[in-house]
Amino acid sequence: MKILIVEDEQELMKSMATYLKSENFVCEEATDYATARQKIELFTYDCILLDVSLPDGNGLMLLNELKENRKTDGVIVISAKNSISDRIQGLNLGADDYLSKPFHLSELNARILAVIRRRHFQGQHILVFNELTIDLTAKTVTVHRCPVELTRKEYDLLVYLAYNKNRVISKNAIAEHLSGDEAEIFSNYDFIYSHMKNLKRKLQQAGCGEYIRSVYGMGYKFDV
Amino acid sequence: MRLNNKTIRSYLFYSCLIYLLTIPLFYFVMRSVLLHAVDKSLRSQLKEIRSNLGEIHSQEELTAWSKLDKDILLSPADGPIKDRIYSTTRYSPKHREEEPYREIAGTINVEGKMYRLVVSSSLIENEDLLGSILLVQSIVLFLLICGMLWINQRISKRLWQPFYVALRNMQQFELNKQTDLPFLSTTTDEFNELNKAMKNLFSRNSEIYLQQKEFTENASHEMQTPLAIYQSKLELLMQTSPLSEEQADLINDLNDTNRRLIKLNKSLLLLTKIENNQYQDVYDVEISALCKKLIQQGQSLAQEKNIIIHGDFPETMVVRVNNVLIEVLIGNLLSNAIRYNTDNGMIIVRTERDALVIENTGVPVALQAEKIFTRFYKLTGPAGNEDSTGLGLAIVKNICTLYNYTISYAFIEGRHIFRLDLHDGVIRQGAGS
Repeated sequence: MKILIVEDEQELMKSMATYLKSENFVCEEATDYATARQKIELFTYDCILLDVSLPDGNGLMLLNELKENRKTDGVIVISAKNSISDRIQGLNLGADDYLSKPFHLSELNARILAVIRRRHFQGQHILVFNELTIDLTAKTVTVHRCPVELTRKEYDLLVYLAYNKNRVISKNAIAEHLSGDEAEIFSNYDFIYSHMKNLKRKLQQAGCGEYIRSVYGMGYKFDV
Repeated sequence: MRLNNKTIRSYLFYSCLIYLLTIPLFYFVMRSVLLHAVDKSLRSQLKEIRSNLGEIHSQEELTAWSKLDKDILLSPADGPIKDRIYSTTRYSPKHREEEPYREIAGTINVEGKMYRLVVSSSLIENEDLLGSILLVQSIVLFLLICGMLWINQRISKRLWQPFYVALRNMQQFELNKQTDLPFLSTTTDEFNELNKAMKNLFSRNSEIYLQQKEFTENASHEMQTPLAIYQSKLELLMQTSPLSEEQADLINDLNDTNRRLIKLNKSLLLLTKIENNQYQDVYDVEISALCKKLIQQGQSLAQEKNIIIHGDFPETMVVRVNNVLIEVLIGNLLSNAIRYNTDNGMIIVRTERDALVIENTGVPVALQAEKIFTRFYKLTGPAGNEDSTGLGLAIVKNICTLYNYTISYAFIEGRHIFRLDLHDGVIRQGAGS
């Protein structure tokens, strides 16, 4: 999987590239509008991470270029402005998703995977970990081919962990992922414990191995 | 007291004093001058009589002469006495009252016989004259003072007009509302200078305020990127191995601190955006539906403490407002009601006529109503506060100011009550769901 990161902040670029490379993505980097445009014209990417404010232009203009060249690269717009108008404009111009700074790398990874899944598998995709199967299309989970009843939050939690398998995900990242943008006012970092506890119990009862483990109370890891 | 009245008061006081002092003074001076004149005339009369005595040769002639002149009184005297002038009164049958007289008494020698001679002069005309003069003088003085006051008042009013305009401008000046205030141009140098100085002050203040606003917004925006970098590095650090528990704890603390920084930064950005009036799109928002949605969203947080939230919406209420801001406004109030509640506590959210009321149980003492809406004011003590930015209610207050809503706080029967009066903001109110 090939990813283009368009970001003018070197350090942030480095962090994103490091995380994504260890997820076996091939990352290319562009720190300005001109370079990004060149690369987009020459190559095709599975996903482009696009920073809106670039030193020599507005990242959103690149979306127009893609449209004109009939390119089908997935695009996630990243903006420091967190303004609704930016978000709407980005999505209207054909971006697949929008992420505002600061974001969690695990969240970014999950979003990239979701974008790629939607584009490449026509929405059909199944994650298999030994006896555990997650059908992302039907939104069902089975262990040893037996369905496991999960609540919406528990399912989201499992998918998020599975997308970021073998990585430590911070509690904050999980909490923010689960509460979404809507309930930011009521953000609550304690409620993930109960969701996590229930998820683990349900999987265990279905005969699933203990893949989810807590890392020193700092976060969780989906070990397979 | 007005400046004008203050100066006039001094003038008035001085004028009255002079007025009151002048009248008796004038009276006495005039009187003594008149008396002096009368005395002089009496003396010269006596002198004239004495020098003309040679023409009288008999007792009969003397008596006849004294009888002819009513102002002369003649009586036999024992010996020569010294001339003496004095005031006296005499009954006048004609006017039926005592009339003042001035008399001179002396002796004359007629044919070797001594007579006492009294020459008198009525003062009644003098008194009348004095009275008239005093009256005229009083009227003139009175007119003078009144005229002076009147002119002063009129001139002052016109003269000070630019000052009062400038004063009104100063009272109406608001930093966040940029309007060109009309200064009155004048021919008075001092006022022109004052106007110029004030115009300068206003524009400089506005400029600084604008810069300040821009700075806060830019600073908050610029902060997002380093915060993002910081967070991403922490996440990468979490992936390193081996990782000891000690390191994990430190990373965890850093994560929490960073989360607080991010939240603080977001709140600051929101605050400046509200102040910079960047939420201009308005929609018709139905308050009770919004409340129900927010209560739903807050449930998971409320359940942690086993808090029950009652919603009581007898009427629907439509407000024309920015959808994001009204959600932040009510959301912040509700979130506070949950966070600062006690375990097994309760919250009542209800609509009233043009108002929304949120009541909650919590700490058993009243909050400081005048402080809770200021920036970075934080309660010390209650749980749920560790994460507070101290900006939640400041944001609430700012949104209220923007839309002319009123937010008030009361502590009644152990309950903290926040009341949001929407006033004219409500465009429709009807039988509810």
